[in-house]
Amino acid sequence: MALRRRPPAGTTTQDERRLARDFAGLVAALDDPDPTTRRWAARDLEAHREASPALVARLAVETDVSVREVILTSLTCLGDDTAVDGLIQALRSEDALLRNGAIVALQQLPDAVAPRMEALLADPDSDVRIFAVRVLESLRHPRVEDWLLEVIERDAHLNVCATAVDLLGEVASPRARAPLEALKRRFPDEPYIQFAADLALRRIGEV
Amino acid sequence: MKQILVIDDAATVRLYHRGILESGGYRVTEAVNGVEGLERVAETAFDLYFVDVNMPVLDGYGFLRELRSRDGPQPPAIMVSTEAGEQDRRLALEVGASHYMIKPVRPETLLACARLLLGERSTP
Amino acid sequence: MPEIQISDGDFLRLREFFYRKTGILFEPSKRYFVDKRLIERIRATDCEDFRSYFTMLRFQASGQELQTLVNAMTVNETYFFREEYQFACLVNSMLPEILAHRTDRDPIRIWSIPSSSGEEPYGIAIYLLEHWKTLSEWDVEIVSSDIDTDILARAREGLYQARAVQHLPAPLLSKYFTRKGDGYRISETLREVVDFTRVNLAEPAAVRMYRNFDVIFCRNLLIYFDDLSRKQAAESLYDVLRPGGFLCLGHSESMSRMSLLFRVRRFPEAIVYQKPWGAR
Repeated sequence: MALRRRPPAGTTTQDERRLARDFAGLVAALDDPDPTTRRWAARDLEAHREASPALVARLAVETDVSVREVILTSLTCLGDDTAVDGLIQALRSEDALLRNGAIVALQQLPDAVAPRMEALLADPDSDVRIFAVRVLESLRHPRVEDWLLEVIERDAHLNVCATAVDLLGEVASPRARAPLEALKRRFPDEPYIQFAADLALRRIGEV
Repeated sequence: MKQILVIDDAATVRLYHRGILESGGYRVTEAVNGVEGLERVAETAFDLYFVDVNMPVLDGYGFLRELRSRDGPQPPAIMVSTEAGEQDRRLALEVGASHYMIKPVRPETLLACARLLLGERSTP
Repeated sequence: MPEIQISDGDFLRLREFFYRKTGILFEPSKRYFVDKRLIERIRATDCEDFRSYFTMLRFQASGQELQTLVNAMTVNETYFFREEYQFACLVNSMLPEILAHRTDRDPIRIWSIPSSSGEEPYGIAIYLLEHWKTLSEWDVEIVSSDIDTDILARAREGLYQARAVQHLPAPLLSKYFTRKGDGYRISETLREVVDFTRVNLAEPAAVRMYRNFDVIFCRNLLIYFDDLSRKQAAESLYDVLRPGGFLCLGHSESMSRMSLLFRVRRFPEAIVYQKPWGAR
């Protein structure tokens, strides 16, 4: 008994992915009772361009967190319309973990999210608008500041504005000055809005 | 000095809470999500947690569920959320929150709540 | 060349952004160092000032500049027994817990990635030989991988400059190395027990060949990945481990920027991450 090198047969002792690895086999494996099998299927489906509908369907019913995380990752890698619509649907989930996973996924898909952002920011449900603003937190898209300014200029909901002004502390440029001042006037009795807007203004002013 | 952990993904919110709590004489540590919160808990013994609900990677419910599943002392936790629904409040209490506050929180309310849960008399 | 100024507000913006992305928080005492590196990057990217640089950094579609900046802000050197406290944690805490749960006599498997030029996997081997008495009762396999075939060849070669071995106690140096010109060569025995392989951790399909490991050392690699690749790699590593297996990251890295799948475990020597015992 000591340090030793494994036999040269291969690193893996045995391949546990017993189901067929073609597309149909992987889709079937998404419903396997064993979470490890489902995780591997979700992971391998990332390489199949037509996989989004099956992954979105599974995401809606999957209860194992580890499988769900891999499905979210694969949908992010695929990033097509079906994937993005499925992720946006997940923003409405009652499950905070799924909602937040979808936000992280959408943050990685700026080109697909951009054409849908206006509609999300106009959603009648203020929670969805808050989640849309949170997608902007890490979105690598040149319009992020525009969207945030539109929110603090137009949205009547205190917490939607509060979420947007949080992010302006990071991305605000001098043109945010007037909208930030206007926001402070709109919510004069809200200490948090005053604090966050002042912080953003200070950071603009210092340059 | 009592130690408070503030977990929120928004940097501005963390700064706001820090300012208020430090003015009340508390020491504040920050974390950006539930996993980082658990990392901080592994390093330091806190007297109180302020936990946001919606955060990337691990949300506030997940953080509290993991924390409350552990043996040992269980300091109080205040859950802070933008969601005002009765169901959100119930879920927070079910996972082990001591109190549920709706954002944005006013400074005096934040401080009063911290004092109460830390078992300190609020200033007369 | 016009002088570039970093205001306090600029510093705070960068500090928050960098912390959110990487988990690394610049202490105010590091301000001089941060400003210096930052100004170098602003110049190197032909940006006019902090604002235009930060906009590029924040919104660049490829995320390339963020990775370059992470590189500039972190020290990535490799030498024997770097972050030795994790090896102590392996021997005193992780391995005892793993053995307490073991029902079979399969070898203990340790994966060290990236192998770099071999300092880490050979260091683990030396540490186990020197400090883990139970080694006499178990077989241990050490596999070490890298994306770079040239560096793998160097690792197999096992030749080191004095700087790489400077933290090794003298008795270990003479026990496991022989002088070779200006440097040192690792012993034949150790070269035989570490298995070097090529793998790209960013390709889940390639990682699937790696299974049933008890401990993974993946230090100072994922921090250079983009957000999505980092999450994907962490999820791949989850399936590389057996239930109860441990993942060790570098001291400036945090799982909080990667994945929720692992449990945070505090041991006396270190904080490490664990695939839950009940995981399926």
